[in-house]
Amino acid sequence: MKPAKSPRRYLRGLLVTLFWLGVWQAVSMLVAKPVLFASPVDTVKALIKLVPGEDFWRAVLGSCGRIALGFFLALALGLLVGIAAFRFSLLRTLLSPLLTMMKTVPVASFIILILVWFGASSLTVIVAMLIVFPQIYFATLSGLESTDRELLELSDVFHVPGLRVAWQVFRPALWPYLMGACASALGMSWKAGIAAEVIGNPEHSIGEQMYLSKIYMDTAELFAWTLTVILLSSAFEKAVLWLLRKVGK
Amino acid sequence: MDIVIKGLSHRFGEKLIFENYDLTLEGGGLYGLTAPSGRGKTTLLRILMGLLIPDAGTVPQGVRYSAVFQTDRLLPGRSAVDQLLFVRGGRKDRAEAARFLAGLLPENCLNQPVGELSGGMQRRVAIARALWADSDCVLMDEPFTGLDEATLRQTADFILQALHGRTLLLSTHQKERLEAYPFTWVKLPE
Repeated sequence: MKPAKSPRRYLRGLLVTLFWLGVWQAVSMLVAKPVLFASPVDTVKALIKLVPGEDFWRAVLGSCGRIALGFFLALALGLLVGIAAFRFSLLRTLLSPLLTMMKTVPVASFIILILVWFGASSLTVIVAMLIVFPQIYFATLSGLESTDRELLELSDVFHVPGLRVAWQVFRPALWPYLMGACASALGMSWKAGIAAEVIGNPEHSIGEQMYLSKIYMDTAELFAWTLTVILLSSAFEKAVLWLLRKVGK
Repeated sequence: MDIVIKGLSHRFGEKLIFENYDLTLEGGGLYGLTAPSGRGKTTLLRILMGLLIPDAGTVPQGVRYSAVFQTDRLLPGRSAVDQLLFVRGGRKDRAEAARFLAGLLPENCLNQPVGELSGGMQRRVAIARALWADSDCVLMDEPFTGLDEATLRQTADFILQALHGRTLLLSTHQKERLEAYPFTWVKLPE
């Protein structure tokens, strides 16, 4: 349980936000070239212009849907394969080089390869999966390994059914690891997904729109899209973590 | 069901704990295991439960055990009632499990997470769990550590009444605390 935030802390947060907005405004005034550096006011104006358009919602829904699909597929797959690898050490050894490769190969290389192999339409989903899968897989392994041996021994002596042991002994050990991995994987899936879209330009995507803002040198619009991504990504993160916390109770 | 151990030998490294040791526990008997620490009380219980394979000797198979371990081994963050339901029963047995626990613990703490209970209370939850479970023989490793005299008497009475004909084997290094009870004392090799 988190303690309720006091009004003082809210006030402090608000002041910090205002401070950095002020810095942003000051820098934009110093640069004095809206083409290079849009001010907060320009950004909000650009956002207000974007929001009512059909293209905006198509891009938002397209990117959200694909990143969420990639994330959840990787979450399910990472959990399943992680559990299997915990159970069968041969599988774990077998997968180890593949996982190391997934973690070390630059995302840009994957993006180009996927473009060549599958085209732009499935790009975001696959990139999000590639980013999320190793994190979930390793968290699942570490979480299961952290399970209390004494409780497992007890379950064994008392002949507690396997499913009950899975839910009441393994799951509570796994959950903190899974939550941690999801918290970092969620942000990364958005960053990598949008980067992939900027390179691959799939139709109806935020990345495509950002690419267009670059072509038209519309910095205010680029900032507005960036702001959109930040808001979407943090909303998505909060929603998924809330869901996990519910299941983990 | 009698539990017959024959020709048990076991060593930890250089140290010989059992050498050709025989022991028979008659079904339904009350047995106390007493010896100074490090003489193999826990080892014998672990061998019976199948958690430790002895170097030599025969141990009966197919006996269903329930146990109080040296440590309490409770599911963290769960209530006393949950601890019982983990080893037997389901949601529908909550009321019965609570009634059972009430013989040993104050009723207002049965649904609190066990972490909020005192050490002695947690010990009693572990004892109640071993008696609640389905088993032929109940093993208890130093069940009364941390319990004062009054609680010890209450707990020992509860154990005897909840056994329902099952065999009990408990280890203790304070035999004198249980003199009022009809235990058959088992010696371990010196």
